[in-house]
Amino acid sequence: MPGGTLNAVDGISFDVDRGEIVGIVGESGSGKTMTALSLLRLIPEPGKITSGKILYGEQDVVQMSDEEIREFRGNEVAMIFQDPMTSLNPVLRVGFQVEEAMAAHNRFTRQQARDRVIPMLQRVRIPAAKDRVRDYPHQFSGGMRQRAMIAMGVSNEPSLLIADEPTTALDVTVQASIIELLRDISRELRAAVILITHNMALVASLCNRVIVMYAGRIVEEGPTRAIFKNPQHPYTWSLLRSMPRVDETTRERLISIKGLPPDLGKMPPGCKFHPRCKFRVDRCLTEEPPLAEVDPGQDARCWVLMKNVQNPEAIAQT
Amino acid sequence: MRGTLIYIGQRLVLIAITTVLVSSIVFVLLHQIPGNAFLNETRQSPQTLAAELHHYGLDLPLQQQYLNWVQGVLRGDLGESLVNRGVKITPLLIRETTVSATVGFFALLVTVGLGLILGVIAALRQNTWVDYAASSTAVVGYSIPSFVIAIFGLLIFGHYLYIWTQGTFFYQPGWGKIEQIPVPALALGLPYASYVARLTRASMLETIRTDYVRTAWAKGLKARVVVMRHALRNALIPVVTILGPLVTGIITGSVVIENIFGIPGLGKEFITSILARDYNIVIGVFTFYAALVGLANLAVDVIYPVLDPRIRY
Repeated sequence: MPGGTLNAVDGISFDVDRGEIVGIVGESGSGKTMTALSLLRLIPEPGKITSGKILYGEQDVVQMSDEEIREFRGNEVAMIFQDPMTSLNPVLRVGFQVEEAMAAHNRFTRQQARDRVIPMLQRVRIPAAKDRVRDYPHQFSGGMRQRAMIAMGVSNEPSLLIADEPTTALDVTVQASIIELLRDISRELRAAVILITHNMALVASLCNRVIVMYAGRIVEEGPTRAIFKNPQHPYTWSLLRSMPRVDETTRERLISIKGLPPDLGKMPPGCKFHPRCKFRVDRCLTEEPPLAEVDPGQDARCWVLMKNVQNPEAIAQT
Repeated sequence: MRGTLIYIGQRLVLIAITTVLVSSIVFVLLHQIPGNAFLNETRQSPQTLAAELHHYGLDLPLQQQYLNWVQGVLRGDLGESLVNRGVKITPLLIRETTVSATVGFFALLVTVGLGLILGVIAALRQNTWVDYAASSTAVVGYSIPSFVIAIFGLLIFGHYLYIWTQGTFFYQPGWGKIEQIPVPALALGLPYASYVARLTRASMLETIRTDYVRTAWAKGLKARVVVMRHALRNALIPVVTILGPLVTGIITGSVVIENIFGIPGLGKEFITSILARDYNIVIGVFTFYAALVGLANLAVDVIYPVLDPRIRY
């Protein structure tokens, strides 16, 4: 679309408090990663933040100068990326890449940074850390690389850690240990965590609060327990329903949500989910619902709400 | 480290074999060219000619001549010039090689230095006028052969500069003074610099979009550190790959450049010795060239693992 504008993320608003773990879930392309990247102003060219505020305490990230945002990144807010295979620089030693993260800010001197590398690697439970500091990333396994990324992220004791699908690229066995590490370390640091994932089970086990995104919007938001027990948006409801369950062995097929998320260039009018929604009413086709409180602490962007639907399972199967 | 030394040893053996092959092929072909070093416009008696040929062993069968030559080489003696009596070839070629290597070194400096700077700037300012200017300069530079650049170099720095400065500051073809180095080095290096610039630009564009460069930004590193340490370091790897063929190109290109600028190097000797049918020198020059190309490529391959730790020999 030459000359045009596409809004990958639109009208997102949420808060994260110290010590809180917030999950952002949604399908690929729903804007989760863009939301996370925008918190550090790392949106890839030619994208940009056209309006809005990102407040960190009193400071607005959007208004920061280049030097302020540099000092902010990795120091106040750190980010852990999706693919540890490609997120570490292949030609620099792992230890050096951790050291560099600390030396970049005023918190530590070069020497302090150097001395902290091995303790940091030990803290993220890299075995034989003393010998491994001088290794290159290709000598590390995927799980160890992600540990190194976490070491890098927490080395400056940030107060917010953004983890963008930190386990997607890893073996299932490794996933659990990485998540455990992430939880323990954020507790030790009393840091807030934003966990971006499409893994609902992960959210259930780790997060205090959940934000569900669809087509660049928040469609539902609330305490994990409430969302899992009483999802109000049909999208959340369908996502939860499509989770494979261990206790139901008889079902032959996995349940999916039919259709695809809308193309950014061809957004449907009204509610963005209505083309895929089994519970839509006429109003959904023309008018986009606001994000409104449905229960204390729980908001949903829907005209219908699942609590008003009788026997949703029967309708969904049609 | 041990592996690297073994690797270098193996390569040196291969270079030696290549050099022997090149010299023997040249030896055979050279004797197929009509004429010889002693034929000239003045009338010679057949007796004198036969005596000359006999003196240098040129009347022997070709195989025997080759064996004699190889024996000499093993003693480090490439023989004597046929045209200039008594001139030993080995010291002559060593002297000429240092001249050629000096020009080649500065040409390589132009190539890599200018190429990298233009390429990096173009990549960092992608799709701005800076990028377009740098990229189109590169295309032009790459399209013009070095002998054309050389002739324009002569015209501008030798002729026009002389006129503009009224003879106080200009380029004089030849060799021996430091100020005679830049013009031939530029002429020899520019086309390759364009090539390096285009490759660097493409390679940089790729690396600045990688995940690890994003990680570097997310760590809060200074822009200069992100670009130099994280992006450029990785972008250099493919550039170093072409350095081997590039050095070869510069070495062969020196044949033309040295003749245009009157530089008494290996390249100039290459032409004069063939025209004079000075067999011994021709073979010597080819042998030196073969070894030089082999060693230059070896040097590049040794740099490789320094840049990319994933490569080990």
